[in-house]
Amino acid sequence: MPAIVEIVGATCLFGEIVALDDVHLALRPGELAFVVGPSGAGKTTLLKLINREMRPTSGEVWIDGHGAHALRPGQIASLRRRVGVVYQDYKLLPRLTALENVAFALQVCELAVSDEEAHDRALDALEAVGLGGRDDAYPGELSGGQQQRVAIARAVVTQPPVLIADEPTGNLDLETAWQVMKLLEQVSRFGTTVLIATHNLDIVRRMQRRVLTLVEGRLVRDQPAGRVGRLAWAAS
Amino acid sequence: MGGVLNAQFPSRRRLQNVVRNTFRHLFAGAARSWTRNLGTTAPALGSMTLLLLLSGLVGLSAFGLQRLAASQAADAAELHIYLRDDAKQPDVDALRAKLTANRQVTAVSYTSKADALKRAQRRPGLPELAGAADDNPFPASLDAKVRNVQDVGALAGSVTASPAVDPVLPTSYNPGTYQRIQTVLTVVGIAGGAFLVLLAFVAIAVTVNSIQAAIHARQEEVAIMQLVGAPRWMVRGPFLVEGAMTGSIAGLVAGAVTLAASLAGLALGASTFAQLTPGLTVGVCFLAAGIVFLAGLVLGSAASLVSVHRQMESA
Repeated sequence: MPAIVEIVGATCLFGEIVALDDVHLALRPGELAFVVGPSGAGKTTLLKLINREMRPTSGEVWIDGHGAHALRPGQIASLRRRVGVVYQDYKLLPRLTALENVAFALQVCELAVSDEEAHDRALDALEAVGLGGRDDAYPGELSGGQQQRVAIARAVVTQPPVLIADEPTGNLDLETAWQVMKLLEQVSRFGTTVLIATHNLDIVRRMQRRVLTLVEGRLVRDQPAGRVGRLAWAAS
Repeated sequence: MGGVLNAQFPSRRRLQNVVRNTFRHLFAGAARSWTRNLGTTAPALGSMTLLLLLSGLVGLSAFGLQRLAASQAADAAELHIYLRDDAKQPDVDALRAKLTANRQVTAVSYTSKADALKRAQRRPGLPELAGAADDNPFPASLDAKVRNVQDVGALAGSVTASPAVDPVLPTSYNPGTYQRIQTVLTVVGIAGGAFLVLLAFVAIAVTVNSIQAAIHARQEEVAIMQLVGAPRWMVRGPFLVEGAMTGSIAGLVAGAVTLAASLAGLALGASTFAQLTPGLTVGVCFLAAGIVFLAGLVLGSAASLVSVHRQMESA
């Protein structure tokens, strides 16, 4: 099966600081992988390459057959419609309800979607993440875990083939974090490739999925799913 | 989850949805944001209205001055060659023939002493002078229309030797008058233009800042739109529409005031105003108001284009 995300020799420099150093990586459709490593290892930079918030100083980034590294500014939006994003701080609009937040993402991406369809699809997405009864709640009225569920619903409602999550459990307690991770695992089970940057090693160990370890911008270990690795950087 | 991620959604009434969503995002969203941010937009609206109003009034004044200059140029291009009271008819005829033969002269006409008196009586101050004298003090003249105003001086010099010409005041040629008018008009034009350029700079700067403030106020929404993959035009469009709204409202107000002021001037000032701004008509007033409105629309759109470009040029 061809890779849906392929990073070939990506290097990112910020002045003299090397954020990523010759990273090679391929992810298949429906694969769930973790990116781990100490702070400043380049995890966020790697994710930013995938949704073209950044472009590599050198190297190539291919998403679903599109060269993200070579896109002109006007083409970035179409790439981002193929990459759902979940952040640690949820990035929900506080003046919109949970349902409106999800529907908003759908309607700004797909102009042909009617209000009724947006409403129905947003509601379906909220139900899928376990928030069917809280669709009219504002973000401020939801717990951190619930807000992250809304963010996941917003990320998947446009049916992207790739979903990236940057520290999605960073603000959550262990139990809620585990529920969110199970939700992301469920997303990958239906064919969406999921890449999660995290510090939460307990969850990484329990999930037993592919683990990419970044240290000082270098991909030092690519541990396949089903194995429990040493995660050596944690001891450093 | 499978339904959310993999379901096929039939496209119904696509065009209708696209049109409605486009309108809603671009125009309704812009109108809502404009109203919400009226506090930050007000200075831009005020300065742009002031700029456009002054531009309208200065433009109308410039139009009047240009017409005045044109009529002065026409007057200056007509040379009156005053004839001696005792000039012999053959000398007058010879002078007329000489003028007619001159390639720079387009027309020559004769004004008798009686016609000169009638003409003088229509000019302010001269009727009293004409009445004070026992006999008609105004000389007969040959009036030559000159093709180019710069040739009037040379023509005046060429006729003074004619025996038919009054030796004391041979012609109406006054070398300084026309140049002085031109100088005054040039200085007024440059000063007015510089003032408007300065005001335009201020108005654009204030508008750019107000649009940037609007973008800043919606930074979160803009960031999310960009991250979920909203097309660039949808992210930027509402701000451009907001700027165009600010400009067109300023243009509408300034155009209306310009129209009202100029129509009031036409109605109340009547003859005096007509003399000050020859050629100013109701049609010209409406045209000026229309131009002011369009200028506002263009100015507002251009200013927002600049600020959106500055603020939102992403990686």
